[in-house]
Amino acid sequence: MMKIAVLSGKGGTGKTTVSNNLAALNSDAILLDCDVEEPNSHIFMNPRIKGDEDVAKDYPVIDEEKCVHCGECARFCHYNAIISGPSATITMKEICHSCRGCALVCQHDAITYKQREIGKIYSGTSRFGTELVYGELKTGELSGVPIINKIREMTGEEHSILIDSPPGTACSTVAAVEDCDYALIVTEPTPFGVSDMKMVVEMLRTMKIPFSVIINKAWLGDREVYDYCREENLEILGEIPFDRDIAEAYSTGKLIVECDPKYEDIFQSLWNKIHFIGERIHGC
Amino acid sequence: MIIALCSTGDAMESPVDERFGRAAYFLFYNTITSEMVSVINEAKTAKGGAGALAVQLLVNNKAELLIAPEVGPQALDALKKFKIPAFKQGENTTPELAVLAWGNGSLEMIKDPGNKGLHKV
Repeated sequence: MMKIAVLSGKGGTGKTTVSNNLAALNSDAILLDCDVEEPNSHIFMNPRIKGDEDVAKDYPVIDEEKCVHCGECARFCHYNAIISGPSATITMKEICHSCRGCALVCQHDAITYKQREIGKIYSGTSRFGTELVYGELKTGELSGVPIINKIREMTGEEHSILIDSPPGTACSTVAAVEDCDYALIVTEPTPFGVSDMKMVVEMLRTMKIPFSVIINKAWLGDREVYDYCREENLEILGEIPFDRDIAEAYSTGKLIVECDPKYEDIFQSLWNKIHFIGERIHGC
Repeated sequence: MIIALCSTGDAMESPVDERFGRAAYFLFYNTITSEMVSVINEAKTAKGGAGALAVQLLVNNKAELLIAPEVGPQALDALKKFKIPAFKQGENTTPELAVLAWGNGSLEMIKDPGNKGLHKV
């Protein structure tokens, strides 16, 4: 089945609105909230949590008996997580990316690893019947990538997957989007919306993931996003109007498909179009 | 003693840098020989862990004392482990003036971390 990433570049353009409304209408899909720094799908999907799992990450520990302070590990570390001098070698566990390279280059067998918890993954059934999995990164942690990778590993091929991605185009977004069959860019007709969307377009093209665009808060702002899509030959799959009713529903934890049948039509037709495109390009 | 200083340029008369981890240059001033070695701070453009990389640079250049605007929590921990005390450069506008002020005993020791970088715990 199709794996669909919903992403945006700019925050607050409507990734959660699009992914959650689609998930609410299609209860045999699985929704993954990979925005682990600020997950919010569970607020709208209101799942009955069936399980949670800790996510831990390795960090290096130096054996003072064996370490000769040669500095090989510190020179190797791409993330500057080890400092080595003639009198000491110290590791900075918050900066470490757990690549385990330092132990490989250590000639004195002085490096072992310990684990520390960086977050949690929750899973459950939403009030719409759709399964929801979401991750939560601990405050102060640098990278949610290990949590996102684990969320992605938890789901099989038998259901359609909808991924509520993190904003931006950094490592966590790449992890959320990797190996997806299709991506939906949710943008808004504002200069910031277009500017950040351009980076997402570049990222998806580099990753060779086919995509189309959804314009949220349509008829607000200016026409730049439409001009950009035309110039770049990007398909605009749908538009969601700038509508106070959506904001009001959102502010009470409701989805717009629950409040207004006209939106049920908009999102169902979006879902059908995505699967039509999926069949065309992937046969899935 | 070798004193490390944060500078925007490569001379003792250059304006001090207002940042530690991402300072443009580190100047290593030898109080015995009055010699100075300037080093471009490669941590300035590091994606993350600039403070840690800057401490590594200090260790590599055998600094025994640091004069800085302020030092973040991770870097301050690391400096303590390498027994490099840190002093506030305060109102001194150049590394030269900062060294003189340190000589007069008028610089305050940095005991608590200042501006937090990536790791706002």
